[in-house]
Amino acid sequence: MTTHFITAEIDLTESPKQLHQDIEAELEKRGEPLRWAVTETNPETGKAKVEAVVTQDRNA
Amino acid sequence: MTRPYTVVALVPTGIGAEIGGYAGDAIPVARAIAQVCDRLITHPNVLNGAQLYWSQPNVSYVEGYGLDQFAAGRWGLRPVHQNRVGLILDKAIEPDLRLRHLQAADATRATLGLDLTDYVVTDEPLGVSLRTSEAGASWGTLDNPDSLLRAAERSIDRAGAEAIAIVARFPDESGDAFDRYRSGQGVDPIAGAEAVISHLVVRQFQIPAAHAPALSPLPADPSVSPRAAAEELGYTFLPCVLVGLSRAPQFADASTGEEGIVRSRDIDAIVVPETACGGSAILNLSQTAARIVAVRNNQTQMRVPPAALGIRAITVNSYLEALGALVAHRAGISPAALSPHLSPSRPLS
Repeated sequence: MTTHFITAEIDLTESPKQLHQDIEAELEKRGEPLRWAVTETNPETGKAKVEAVVTQDRNA
Repeated sequence: MTRPYTVVALVPTGIGAEIGGYAGDAIPVARAIAQVCDRLITHPNVLNGAQLYWSQPNVSYVEGYGLDQFAAGRWGLRPVHQNRVGLILDKAIEPDLRLRHLQAADATRATLGLDLTDYVVTDEPLGVSLRTSEAGASWGTLDNPDSLLRAAERSIDRAGAEAIAIVARFPDESGDAFDRYRSGQGVDPIAGAEAVISHLVVRQFQIPAAHAPALSPLPADPSVSPRAAAEELGYTFLPCVLVGLSRAPQFADASTGEEGIVRSRDIDAIVVPETACGGSAILNLSQTAARIVAVRNNQTQMRVPPAALGIRAITVNSYLEALGALVAHRAGISPAALSPHLSPSRPLS
């Protein structure tokens, strides 16, 4: 297993539930999410910045 | 017929929270909230004061990954009387420092009566790396997470641990970030890595876990802030972790029919710093009927107030006001009734 710090930008939605799903879906493209948070939002661009640590299998 | 008034208190670690971002300095907040609710669920960053801690029967020590799963409705919390606590020590800890940690563990056994298992040393150095993100948050990674997980497996399967305390060797700190932290400003540079370490164990084994860093002792320094002073008292940060884990609730599948399990739908209120509403737990709990109380004067490095994510919350200026909001909520009193001006009822438009 390896651990990786990553960042992502996610489209803001009106629904916190949808946002949570969108964030996890994006992070899952890059590994198994371990810890993440939205750190900043930009209403003008409609984006949320996310910072995260994900894990990957060594053989992946 | 009543239900226990249950509050979740969050102060995410590694984001420079002015209250709670230092050495267990949110313990007074937890103690006060515990006084006005039946059950308080909170997490190690709130309750860990190195040599200092305050254990109360109605306060639950729930590790952050476990809290995220609880908030998501996947895990429930099963109260316990006592956990057998396993201790994992990083192979990279030098002999003298290892001895200090073993003596801290023995002190909690003899002086507090905690039940600890035989300890386990990792088969490789864990290799902690620290970083500060663009947002100003503290994060970290491990070179050898598999070694940590192997040690946890041995601790559980062979030593019989029901909760795991992990001590990893962290880089001895110096520089501006570290000095600012000790003077009660800025972000704890090691906090993010600590969270990653305990999250790895909780995710894999679904049992309580928490972390204390192994660091070389520092010379006396008159500039240390009161908020950081609890970390100056001894050679380790371990006692609070062992105390917390000794009675941390176990994790159960939330769908179990077992009685006595606390689930996310049992939460009545959540107290959180106003700018730190971007985490998994708060996003999930915003979907429940629980009232979110955002505290303005606990500023953090994050820039995510509730409204930015469409989260309904009441914002108060301070924890003192938050306590009032909780009391009113518990009593079934609308906050509007406690203000001098109350508008007449209006028709729905």
